[in-house]
Amino acid sequence: MSDARFTIAKRELSGLRKEKTILLALAIQLFIAAFSSFLVVGLVSLYDPGSVEGYSVDVAVAGEAADDLLAVAARQDGLDPTRYSGPRAAYASFQSGRSDAVLVANRRPSGRIGVQATVPDENVRTTLVVVQLREALRAYERAEREEMAGRLNGMALELPPEQRSNPYYDFTYTVLVPLLLFLPVFISGSITVDSITEELDRGTLTLLRVAPVSFARILEGKLLAAALLAPAQVFLWIALLSVNGTRIANVPALLVLVGAFSLLMTAVGVAVSLLAPDRRVAQPVYSVCALAFIGGTATLAHGPVNTVARLAIDSAGPETTTAVAAYGLFAIGIYAATRWLIERTDAAAL
Amino acid sequence: MRSALRSLLQSPKRLSGTLRIARWELTRSAGGFDRRAIAFTIVALGLAGGAVAAGIASGPGDVALDRNVYRVGVDADSPYHEVVAGSATLAARPPSVDALETGEVDVVVGDGEIVADDSEKGRAALTAFRGATRAYNDRLMRAEEDGVAAFPVAVTLSYEDRTLDRDLSAGGGGSEIGGASGADTDADNGDQVSSSDDTSEDGTDERSAGGTGGLPAVGAGGVSGTDSGSPADIAPPFPFESLVLAFAFLVPMNFVVQLYGSSMLGERTNRRGELLLVAPVRPIEIVAGKTLPYFLGTAIVTALIALAVGGGVVSVAAVVPIGLCFLAATFLASMLARSFTELTFVTVAASVFLTSYVFVPAVFADIAPIALISPLTLVVRDLASESVSLGEYAFSTGPFYLSGLVLFVLGTGIYREEDLFTQRAVPLKFLDALCARLTRRRSVALLSALSIPFVFVAELLSIAVLFALPMEYSVPVLLLVIAGVEELGKSIHIYAGFTGGRFDSGTRTALVLGVLSGIGFFVGEKATLLAQAVGLPELALGRAAFVPSGVGGIELVALALAPLALHCVTALISALGASRSKRGYLLAYLVAIGVHAGYNFTVVNAVV
Repeated sequence: MSDARFTIAKRELSGLRKEKTILLALAIQLFIAAFSSFLVVGLVSLYDPGSVEGYSVDVAVAGEAADDLLAVAARQDGLDPTRYSGPRAAYASFQSGRSDAVLVANRRPSGRIGVQATVPDENVRTTLVVVQLREALRAYERAEREEMAGRLNGMALELPPEQRSNPYYDFTYTVLVPLLLFLPVFISGSITVDSITEELDRGTLTLLRVAPVSFARILEGKLLAAALLAPAQVFLWIALLSVNGTRIANVPALLVLVGAFSLLMTAVGVAVSLLAPDRRVAQPVYSVCALAFIGGTATLAHGPVNTVARLAIDSAGPETTTAVAAYGLFAIGIYAATRWLIERTDAAAL
Repeated sequence: MRSALRSLLQSPKRLSGTLRIARWELTRSAGGFDRRAIAFTIVALGLAGGAVAAGIASGPGDVALDRNVYRVGVDADSPYHEVVAGSATLAARPPSVDALETGEVDVVVGDGEIVADDSEKGRAALTAFRGATRAYNDRLMRAEEDGVAAFPVAVTLSYEDRTLDRDLSAGGGGSEIGGASGADTDADNGDQVSSSDDTSEDGTDERSAGGTGGLPAVGAGGVSGTDSGSPADIAPPFPFESLVLAFAFLVPMNFVVQLYGSSMLGERTNRRGELLLVAPVRPIEIVAGKTLPYFLGTAIVTALIALAVGGGVVSVAAVVPIGLCFLAATFLASMLARSFTELTFVTVAASVFLTSYVFVPAVFADIAPIALISPLTLVVRDLASESVSLGEYAFSTGPFYLSGLVLFVLGTGIYREEDLFTQRAVPLKFLDALCARLTRRRSVALLSALSIPFVFVAELLSIAVLFALPMEYSVPVLLLVIAGVEELGKSIHIYAGFTGGRFDSGTRTALVLGVLSGIGFFVGEKATLLAQAVGLPELALGRAAFVPSGVGGIELVALALAPLALHCVTALISALGASRSKRGYLLAYLVAIGVHAGYNFTVVNAVV
């Protein structure tokens, strides 16, 4: 490592600091984080009735098979079934607002039970009511199925016990955390493209050629500055998430992974801007590369997003470690290829 | 500005100038893509395609980001092993109680007992396991020959509007797919229920094709209408559609905007744009000409995507304003930015804010009228073949048209030599842009009124962001933030005018400007409220939340005057500060926020 590269890298970073744009980047991420927790909290309260204190769904039950249904429904938390003499009375209570939903259960000639469920078409409650009804009806289906078990070849497995949990627990780790980790990486690559194409455009690189620094060193310095930026930002993020109560496991491995991706994307950024020195071309091409990288690897068993999720949620195994190492090697390979490209490029021709 | 627009539209000569610049811009953009760049893009896409193919070949072809995030300790001969193997989210591990303690697994299937780790993750894993078992059971039952025993319950789910007349709503509810509709008799006459159900049952059982175990499948869950099938098939209305839509429409827009930003900022490097400036065309024509190709590009891309997702003219008309606003934000950003790097950050910020703004309310697309503030709600409705009234269209796209226009106006103001080719910090440039629009004292009132859409957007986003806080903190913080945003909207241009030397810094001038700004803001606010009240009377609920100082403002003159007085007084305070110095402005601004927030607290306490 020569000093020239670090000098260039320092100059790049101080440029960012002076423009104060890095503050904007942090603000964006803070916004995303706060916003996502809005979504998570909002969605949880929408779909998990338990999170709404003291709320239970009043259901009017009627029909000839109502008694069985009532027995099952009464066992469920958050559901308050009431027996009505007939469908007419049940609908009347629904219309007057005394009940949130109506279930009319009748046995059909085929032996199947037809349930006519009616829910209000009005507001947030609808989703809540439907979720609760589905739970009750599935329990009812299981009970009825058991009664007819003799007619079945196989047996349904008993369900694992139910425990109240955050239904968006894995959303935090599989969507939010990867989003927060990859955004700095992509922005790093984008900065590299900007920085190089701008110098080429303004012609300031030509001035540097009289300095005792080679063109390759300059580019490597720029690459280094951008590649270091992302892991630093990610470290801040992880600290912030931990303070906020979201535990992130395997922090060193995550930082290595982010460092590898950051090296990869900045190397791609350098390569793109050498191949297409016009920013109007380089930026879209780089964006396509970034999108292709994430979209293309999404189906892989150990894709980048999935690897981050497994590390962060603490479900990593030996195969995850192998994946991290493989990504590291891949990034170094791309970096080496980019260096080869840099050496081959004639600065004067750009 | 208005006169410039008019002359642009009226004079064919000016229009031809705009079109010539547009044509020139188009050929120049296309010329940048040489063979090397295209080849590189193709290679990148080829690599991505290869990765996708490898992913599909190596495992289940679906995108599962949550693959193997929970580990279940289960014996290979346990019946639950199949469950775990069939679920992407769960990974099978050898069972042992030790493994649970060391954190090797999250759930253990023991002899007749299933134990989960006592942690948030353990509980989440257990819930996922429960869901997977349920899905496994459904698969098992679907293979049974006796369809009735496997799925003994058939559910018909109908959504009913309770505000309607009873007979009407009962008729609208529930008619089973493939059967005669017996819903009316269902509701009205209990004795006939079984007979009317029989007809529908026969119809369903004979058609054993499709759906779970011979039952008709439940449709993809629109909110109104009727669903029917096994209880497992009931899909509660879920808003993921809007999320997908937000990304489908906005991601390609990012590319167009990137090109546009590069082109606009490119004019400013190396004094390249000077040639155009000295040409016999006005700046507004240059800007219009350079923007036109990108605007058309956005419109075409939007139309293609709308076509792909099955939307119609309404979808395109709803999304194009978002594109316009996005372009406008990028235009102003490229006028303010000093370097490409800075432009990238500003563009990413604009993209993130726009995406979240259009996405948040669309989450509630089905439920609350408040969802209409996002044009995506119109798209969702268009896809569901529901009608959209003109008032609703104006309400949800109006802020986008208006803020897009304001941003363009601000940017065009500094499309002149002294600003284009100078390097100043973004905030200073922004003050310049504001200052360029202050031709006389009355402009202060106009700018205050024009800040309303931005104030509205900022307030909405802060509600979204602060939502996560506990209620006792979020309300006071929200009131403070709202006060801060509104005071900034009323005073920042006054400060710009003073620093730009547009006004003499006397106390008299400051007083006049403050009152003008307050009046302008008040009029703008009330005009918005009035427009909402006329266009969307059902929106009364949202009104109080978004403009607290306007609570109950329409009914009584006295109450209407209170917010007016407040706006004038606070604007006056900050104007007095702004006429002194930067520090004076900051201090006065804080005082104004204090006064405003105090007023808001009083009003909220009085109302609640």
